[in-house]
Amino acid sequence: MKNHFQKIIYTVVFFSAATLQSCDKGFEELNTNPDASPKIVPEYVFSKAQYDAVGDMLMGTIGAMQYTTSFNEVGGFGSKYIFLQGTAPSVVFSNAYPKEINEIGEVIRAVSSDPKNVNKLAAARIWRVYCFHRVTDLYGDVPYTAAGMGYVENIFKPPYDAQSDIYTDMLNELDEAARSFDAAQPTFGASDLVYGGNIDQWKKFAYSLMLRLGMRLTKVDIALAETWVKKAIAGSVIKLDADIAMIKYINGGQDINKNPLALSLLGSDYINHDGVSNQEGGKYQKTFIDYLQANKDPRLGVISVVYVNGKADTSAVLQKGMPSNFLTKPADFVTYSEPNQNTVLLKNAPMLLFTNAESNLLLAEAAVKGWYTDETAASLFVNGTGAGLRQWALYGDAGKISPSQISAYVANHPYNSGGSTGEQLEQIHTQFWVALFPNSQEVFSNWRRTGFPVLIPNVVPNNATQGQIFRRMLYPPTEENLNNDEYQKAIARQGANSFMTRIWWDR
Amino acid sequence: MLQFDSTRLKLFLMVLLLGTVPEGFGQQYANFTASTLHPVNDIRKTIALRIEKDRFVSLKMALENLKHRFHLKFAYREGLLDGKMISTSWLEQEDAPEIMLKNILSPSSLLFKRINKRQISIFSGAANGHLNAEGKANPADSSSSLSVMEVRTSQLINGKVTAQGDGEGLPGVSIVLKGTATGTTTDADGNFKLSIPDEGGTIVFSFIGFATQEIAVSNRTTVDVVMVPESKTLNEVVVTALGIEKSKSALGYSVTEVKGEEFTQARENNVANALTGKIAGVNATGLSTGPGGSSRIIIRGNGSLTGANQPLYVVNGMPIDNTTPGGSPTTNDGSRNIDRGDGISGINPDDIESISVLKGGTAAALYGSRAANGVILITTKRGKLQKGIGVEYNSTYTMDNVAVFPDWQYDYGQGDFGKKPTTQAEALNAGRRSWGSKIDGSDFIAADGLTHPYIAQKNNIKNFYNTGTNFTNTLAFTGGNENLSYRFSLSELSSASILPHSTYNRKTANLNVSGKLSKRIRIEAMAQYNLENAHNRPSAGDAIGNPNWAPYFMANTSDIRWFSPGYNANGNETIFTTATVVPNSYFIVNKFKEDDVKNRFIGQTAIQYNLLDNLFVKGTVSRDFYNYNYRNILPTGTAYIPLGEYAALKTDVAETNSMFTLNYQTRFAQHFNITALAGANKRNYEYKELNTSGTQYIIPFFYSPTNLNTTSTVPKNQQTATNSVFGSLDADYKGIAFLTVTGRQDWFSTLSPAHNTIFYPSVGGSFLLSEALALPKAFDYAKLRGSWAQVGGATPDPYVINLTYSMVPGSTTPIQSVTQTNGANVITNAGLKPLTSTTFEVGVDLQFLNKRLGLDLTYYNRKTTNDIVKTDISSTSGYNSVILNVGELSNKGIEVLLTGTPVKRSNFSWNVSYNVAYNKNEVVRLAPGLNSIQMATTVNNYGYVNNIVGKPFGTIVGTRMQRDANGNIVFDATTGLPVKTGLQELGNGVPPLTMGLTNDFSYKAFSLGILVDGKFGNKVLSVMEVYAMRLGFLKASLPGRENGLALNGVTSDGAAYSRTVAVDQLPNYYENNKNYGELFLHDGSFIKLRQVIFTYKIPVRNFKLLKIQSASISFVGRNLAILYKKTDNFDPEQGYTNSSGQGFESIALPRTRNYGFNLMVKF
Repeated sequence: MKNHFQKIIYTVVFFSAATLQSCDKGFEELNTNPDASPKIVPEYVFSKAQYDAVGDMLMGTIGAMQYTTSFNEVGGFGSKYIFLQGTAPSVVFSNAYPKEINEIGEVIRAVSSDPKNVNKLAAARIWRVYCFHRVTDLYGDVPYTAAGMGYVENIFKPPYDAQSDIYTDMLNELDEAARSFDAAQPTFGASDLVYGGNIDQWKKFAYSLMLRLGMRLTKVDIALAETWVKKAIAGSVIKLDADIAMIKYINGGQDINKNPLALSLLGSDYINHDGVSNQEGGKYQKTFIDYLQANKDPRLGVISVVYVNGKADTSAVLQKGMPSNFLTKPADFVTYSEPNQNTVLLKNAPMLLFTNAESNLLLAEAAVKGWYTDETAASLFVNGTGAGLRQWALYGDAGKISPSQISAYVANHPYNSGGSTGEQLEQIHTQFWVALFPNSQEVFSNWRRTGFPVLIPNVVPNNATQGQIFRRMLYPPTEENLNNDEYQKAIARQGANSFMTRIWWDR
Repeated sequence: MLQFDSTRLKLFLMVLLLGTVPEGFGQQYANFTASTLHPVNDIRKTIALRIEKDRFVSLKMALENLKHRFHLKFAYREGLLDGKMISTSWLEQEDAPEIMLKNILSPSSLLFKRINKRQISIFSGAANGHLNAEGKANPADSSSSLSVMEVRTSQLINGKVTAQGDGEGLPGVSIVLKGTATGTTTDADGNFKLSIPDEGGTIVFSFIGFATQEIAVSNRTTVDVVMVPESKTLNEVVVTALGIEKSKSALGYSVTEVKGEEFTQARENNVANALTGKIAGVNATGLSTGPGGSSRIIIRGNGSLTGANQPLYVVNGMPIDNTTPGGSPTTNDGSRNIDRGDGISGINPDDIESISVLKGGTAAALYGSRAANGVILITTKRGKLQKGIGVEYNSTYTMDNVAVFPDWQYDYGQGDFGKKPTTQAEALNAGRRSWGSKIDGSDFIAADGLTHPYIAQKNNIKNFYNTGTNFTNTLAFTGGNENLSYRFSLSELSSASILPHSTYNRKTANLNVSGKLSKRIRIEAMAQYNLENAHNRPSAGDAIGNPNWAPYFMANTSDIRWFSPGYNANGNETIFTTATVVPNSYFIVNKFKEDDVKNRFIGQTAIQYNLLDNLFVKGTVSRDFYNYNYRNILPTGTAYIPLGEYAALKTDVAETNSMFTLNYQTRFAQHFNITALAGANKRNYEYKELNTSGTQYIIPFFYSPTNLNTTSTVPKNQQTATNSVFGSLDADYKGIAFLTVTGRQDWFSTLSPAHNTIFYPSVGGSFLLSEALALPKAFDYAKLRGSWAQVGGATPDPYVINLTYSMVPGSTTPIQSVTQTNGANVITNAGLKPLTSTTFEVGVDLQFLNKRLGLDLTYYNRKTTNDIVKTDISSTSGYNSVILNVGELSNKGIEVLLTGTPVKRSNFSWNVSYNVAYNKNEVVRLAPGLNSIQMATTVNNYGYVNNIVGKPFGTIVGTRMQRDANGNIVFDATTGLPVKTGLQELGNGVPPLTMGLTNDFSYKAFSLGILVDGKFGNKVLSVMEVYAMRLGFLKASLPGRENGLALNGVTSDGAAYSRTVAVDQLPNYYENNKNYGELFLHDGSFIKLRQVIFTYKIPVRNFKLLKIQSASISFVGRNLAILYKKTDNFDPEQGYTNSSGQGFESIALPRTRNYGFNLMVKF
């Protein structure tokens, strides 16, 4: 019996010891994700931030700026100001922070420690401005200083910064970053999808953004606008087609490698390319097509087609825009123009972020205001108009417009230097509207600032704005639930979270 | 290195060892030998039967030995065993309990009868016609040695006593003429004869384990009696943690056991759903996702703020996997948003012997972390000793019909602006809108382009959905001899959903073998193989791919059948609305393809080695493995996504547990019984998934992943492990006082290496008041119990400690991003430590009036601290969610079980069981500076489910119309619309009060069981009604259709406000109501007629040739009627997900009423 007793003791002791010894052996290895790396590769995250920022678009502005429309209630958000449901007006806000803004923050943290990475840091800072201005221009006050600090600082409820402060900081950032490049140090190289690491072009991009953001302030603070526009011009902005800031896409790989605007338009409307079975009932809007037609614009056949017997026809005479007030599918739906599958809808078309046309047209405005005297408004206007036509060649063969057509169009649209400032600006910014298509988000900002082109609002039943074109987009409804205190402070400062509340630079 | 929470564990282990072994063991051994030395004259009786050199032991002691060895309970009359001895050689045998008992009892002329699985009644086998004199248990049986001949008699009655259940004759039943000493007992076949006086009298039939019956006899000569087993008996044995069987009296906590038969007749495909209403404190909900769907079971309230709240499922002592491959459905996730079924749905009800629900922490403490939410213990049927092969056949055929129809308006028909469509284009545009003119029977052009009468089409739901069918057949073979017993079953479940072309098939093979390899070695093995096939499981939530939209939201003058078969000659979808995001349901059921196959294997083996009679070691290994292949084809020609989409999921999941236990029993100081257990467990869990998705079939209508414009395949490999050591000590004193102490230490792979371990103890005790004190006569049984327990837990997800970066697979240029979990950025937490759930419970178990009335009352208080909370955060933080480790959640509640037997006669009985539970839940604390977290939102954020400090788990949050102090609606003078409040608490999504009432009637061969259950006090936010309002289906959208809607209220500065909304602006006005969540919020309380079983026991004596042992046929019904509800348009149980987002209705498959027949035959 003594034996039995010992047996038990030994068994228990042995067994406990044997088990406890290995109580958490190998756990750390087991708890390591085999499909993820613990280390960041800043280059690869920078590529992701570039793709994400460019793909983060607000589709509603393409209708609001009267390029496109639809008869469908669900598709009526942009051109009809019908907002029945959904998070469409907050999508840029919702996507930007966890994607491009967090990613560019990670890149900046990763490259900051090593002074050799000065060029990478500069490019990342410029890109961060690009990301943020697209958000604040749509929503106004947004989290900025403390945004994207969830992991590093455990800030889960970032305060909303006033847009004036955001602009001040963004312009300073561009200035500092542009001046910090060092040709002797490495760049992001091929991982930089915009310029492939070209430092000179990055500088031009930075000053061009400074020009864009500086001009944005003309309504709210003309003196500040002048300061920054002059600084931008002094730094040298994009003046050549070769310097256009763009991301090239390919028709392969994953969706992230494909032109996001084309993907979105195909996915919502045009994938069957038959002119009839457009899922959300989308077509080009009458305003846009009428304007191109009236001006004998050679871009008409480049961007637009009408399906005749199932075949896409680019003949200018056939093109017809759909009125934006249709509430049911018209019997002649097929006869209306829609985007050309060989240009606008190409999955391997580039996305143009800052064009030669934009900088020339903005410079023309600067010339009108007397802030820029090296060139005349007339010559800048001509440069911008021509660049706006030439850039379609970047879309491939179907986008090429012959030099003779271009010169004819430019000749037919002489700059009226004798007009009033308002008339001059109308001329510049109406061309801006045509030249920047399909970058409707930037056009929407430019329209709010300048009031041009003069667009007649669409009045249809059930619209959410009492028949006015909206002035801003809506914060995500989840912000009220997840970050309510800061959200309420922003609303108290800026006004109701509605489409018609004007943001700081639009006042 | 030893990393455990050392001091506490060491102390505990020492107590365990010191407390049991040295003193207890030695003393017990001494007692045992002492009691074997009995006077020679007492041995005489048995000596003739078996004389060997060995020693003798009292029969009582021998039975005590068997009791522990086989986990049996013996009942016998006081004194019956006195002075009886047997040879210890009988005890050294290793035989089946029946054989050993027979050997041990027969020398003393005793017989035995199994009352239930674990309970055995022992009685005298003395010659028929005489009472055994010893009895004092029966008050009528007081005087000794009276023979029947000594009483004045003049009539002889005879009869047969049988047991309810198996219908077999019951031997040894005591039969006494009331008020006299006249009596007898039944013979081995249950027959008896008794002489009674001319004037008759009342005969009392009593037998331990059965309810005593009194039958008045006047001029009858034959009295047949069916004895009804006592629903509650003193020595009821239940299965507790690790499969250990314990006397219910010994438990310091509440355990409820439900027998397998309760699931096999009126069956649910998912056995977990069948728990609905049966057990106090168990909130079971079947999802509305068709056959093969999941369940959600919450025991004693939600105990985790955001983590898993469902209990752990354990089969034969070992955990099984209960994951839903690919995750639970959400509100808004397109055509792949389907419920793919959970792990418990793979268990065949026919294989279940019993289900024990361990509600509290004490009950579950030995299972460790995952048991914090309770444990559902399933014991499968095993083989049994019998001659030849036993065959059981069980067949059920049931039908499902849509049970609840929305109460739409049928006054105004399809159209817009108060006008009916005049062209196909207008009809298509208004395809899902009923804002037209007054329904008048005139002609109109419908969306199919044809002219139809403008009349209400009220039967779109009836016409679209089918009658669902479920056909289950199970065949089981059992058998065994002394060395080996087995049970083998084959089962097939074949279901057709109410959704056309949606089917589910489950084949199960289950083999259970146990045997002994030698005198000391026993083995046990269980293997189960499942093959589950499902086609076209319905999706829920948003419109894309959801077939439930059109039957509900087709304009009310359109007949859904006009749009059948849903596709044209080219294979493209025929649309009924230009909002093509809402699909033609016929196109979905005919052209969408969803298939999934699950191959699942559950294997368990255990080997037990008896070092001594009272000491054994046991090793168990179990593995639950499944392989799941899922394919979802959104076909070419879908109006909204014309080129189609493809999705596939390949999942391999394995849960492996290895357990080693050491079990020791002893007795010391005469009255103390001790059982000690020590063990270790290693759990490994593996989840591997390949998620393939693609878009745009290059060759139309050819659905292969090779034929896609874009594809991407994302792997997911998760591995977790938990290592544990545990021990327990059970002590009882004289069967009056019981104490259980347990402890367990866990190490978790998913936590920070610095804090990855936790030790947690439990203590529980019970006291049998009725044994210790002389209680008033009405009390038959009174037990007090109490327990306190802690359970530690960890996050189930691995890799949440450190931030990592993942490549985007298949990109043409290298792209890296912050690792996403289910499409969201999650802030990891490097300091993650275990959470703790602490439960305190006290209870009382009372039985009165000859056990005709019983009360089981429990109060519990459960607190979860350091809860691991994954919460959504503002995306402006750069992340969508964060994992915190600070939450505190409290659940307090009361559970009451009332049982009664209002009528108990020989051929009629009525049993009632009523359970009610109230749970008060409170979110005590979240993270510093955080007073609310978001768990779920509806599509388009019409409402949220939040956890808010100071409020119960699952608060529905939304907006209301602003009102002034007098209740007037405040209007915005500019927009003319009611002002919307900020987000407010609208109600609680989880019912705090649940109850169930079971009535069982038995009359001769007929029995009827009726279960009514209810849940109360919760709210439901209906997404369906948000759309129904906007589209003009709700009756609430009727005012103003003729002359416009007059609005009256005040402006924000208090001035009176009024205006009239013109008829053509009504849709706009009503559509805006989506901004006021309160309008779509309803009380979710209900009472349902949950289950009816009407059974006829076929008299098998007539089929002697077929060797049928028993047979029964039943009418069965589930969810037959809703007796009370406050929702007009949907079933308040219309759930679509088993995730934490409870409190929303979101256009899922309609719930059904289910009825059919069940046949059971035993050969």
